[in-house]
Amino acid sequence: MESPIDRLRGVLAAAGYDFIEPPVLHDADIFLDLAGEDLRRRMYLTASAEGLELCLRPDYTIPVALHHLTAGGDPRRVAAYAYCGPVFRQRPGETGEFWQAGVESIGRTDRADADADVLALAMAALGSVGIDRPTVRIGDQSLFDALLDALPVPDLWRRRLARAFGDTQRLHELIEEMAGRSARPRLGPIAARHGGFPPTISDVREQVARLFAAGGIPEVGGRTVAEIAERYFEHTALTAGSPESLDAARILTRFLAISGPPDRAALALGELAASETPAMAAAIGAFAERTHGFVRQGIDIDGIHFAANFGRRLDYYTGFIFELSDPSRGDGRPLAGGGRYDRLLSLIRARNGTADDVPAVGFALWLDRMGVLAR
Amino acid sequence: MNGSNALVLAIPSKGRLQEKSNAFFAGHGFAIHQPRGERTYRGTIADLPEAEVAFLSAGEIAGQLAAGNVHLGVTGRDLVEETIDDWAARVELVTPLGFGFADVVVAVPEAWVDVETMADLDDVAADFRRRHGRRLKVATKYFNLTRRFFSGHGVADYLIVESLGATEGTPASGAADLIVDITTTGSTLKANGLKVLADGVILKSEAHLVGSLVAPWSDEARAALDAFAAKIGTGKAAAGFEALAKKLTRKRD
Repeated sequence: MESPIDRLRGVLAAAGYDFIEPPVLHDADIFLDLAGEDLRRRMYLTASAEGLELCLRPDYTIPVALHHLTAGGDPRRVAAYAYCGPVFRQRPGETGEFWQAGVESIGRTDRADADADVLALAMAALGSVGIDRPTVRIGDQSLFDALLDALPVPDLWRRRLARAFGDTQRLHELIEEMAGRSARPRLGPIAARHGGFPPTISDVREQVARLFAAGGIPEVGGRTVAEIAERYFEHTALTAGSPESLDAARILTRFLAISGPPDRAALALGELAASETPAMAAAIGAFAERTHGFVRQGIDIDGIHFAANFGRRLDYYTGFIFELSDPSRGDGRPLAGGGRYDRLLSLIRARNGTADDVPAVGFALWLDRMGVLAR
Repeated sequence: MNGSNALVLAIPSKGRLQEKSNAFFAGHGFAIHQPRGERTYRGTIADLPEAEVAFLSAGEIAGQLAAGNVHLGVTGRDLVEETIDDWAARVELVTPLGFGFADVVVAVPEAWVDVETMADLDDVAADFRRRHGRRLKVATKYFNLTRRFFSGHGVADYLIVESLGATEGTPASGAADLIVDITTTGSTLKANGLKVLADGVILKSEAHLVGSLVAPWSDEARAALDAFAAKIGTGKAAAGFEALAKKLTRKRD
């Protein structure tokens, strides 16, 4: 009889994905560079005899992206990869070695359909092992990005809010701060050369240079006098609680509260855009197009829960994200997680210069949580 | 010695921490006797045959408590929180001891006049990667405290550079951009052109009497604990001894 894992592999292969097996052992640098220090404590690290820091792959997405880039050819070429094998992460209360299967669809420019295809495939994969009615949560970072672009807030605020997306508590605190409803620490004063006048940029530069020299701290390789002075002025010019920022806080709060099935959420988003931020229309159009894609794939959209505040805090995720869980499992942990990461391949390539985004979307299945034995 | 059922109390094996620990226990009627002078690593306590004393390096004590090899120990709260995974489940901070004060802080160059809070640091970290093509480097020996604290403030764009000594000199040598380190008065930081962020105090640390929740607590060891509790566990320290005793009893039942 066919084992569950073979059935699952069969489902992914039948959808046109080619199985590949990238290396287990990788240069740790690229993972740390892309995912940050927070990932390091969850990785299994080791060192080569030459002192190079190596890691066991903590997931397949980055190894598959590396495979795509090193196989040669145009990075934007269309490719469809599948994988099934062990990944390694420190997980309190769970085993450090566990299996994942999944797909990565790279290069398709029909993003809305590609997103819908990948979600439908993840649901079919769960269905092949008997999980027929998973809870489906979706989010869309590109809506939040479009909203931020449309709001008249200073760049420094825009960047702070964008970084906090996906962390509900932190985002709420930032919005309160922007609205002037919580105390904001002021920067220390800088003495102007001529008493009584506000300091000029050259006053600030002079003081920064003097402090660097006094501490014996070299400017080379680190933050420069110019960038510190520039940010000092950017920060002191920030106003909290202005009519514009109060307005922005109100609109953001209204946006973040939107949730429900995607068709109804699209209506709420449309109303918000019509009354406050018409520039969001394009992102909402793409969202609606994706929802049509779900319908074409035969997905019951009443069973999908969209939340405007649902995001993943990795900066290579750019748009659609989703999580599937089994309502009969008590811990609520996802069985599948996926999303669009158009910025990943360009971030990897940007390590040797600059590069354009490459469309990419995929998902990973947690085989241990699905109760599928690895072998 | 008293055999394997005795309570093992770990005391720092040298320096001011040892002097202060000895003085603390002597002051509560537990004179620590170190036979054959200072180079021995096992000692006894007068009138308390149910206990023996292990002299260990301060850094080792937290690990031995977590492994259950010693029952009680004197160590810094910074080391407990840094080196013990899920520390609250494995040890109990019984009582602070009034010495070994040190703050674990985030310090940046004074020249960073635009950075006074963790929120500023978050801005700079994200921007730094965009401008310089690498992440900010934080020198520290406190990997875990740093990760928890930075993550709590939403700071993600940085990498830790391990530093086991003279951490405050790493920004000047170019090895790191900022540091997380202990400070008592702040004068070493200042001499190195560094300042502590306004909300950058990660932990106010102090030497503690710490109990292991995973050590094998024999009846004899529990009797020794009761003897310590009777003399040390008065006033503010009573609650800590009670909490430890309650958790140990619950574990055994």
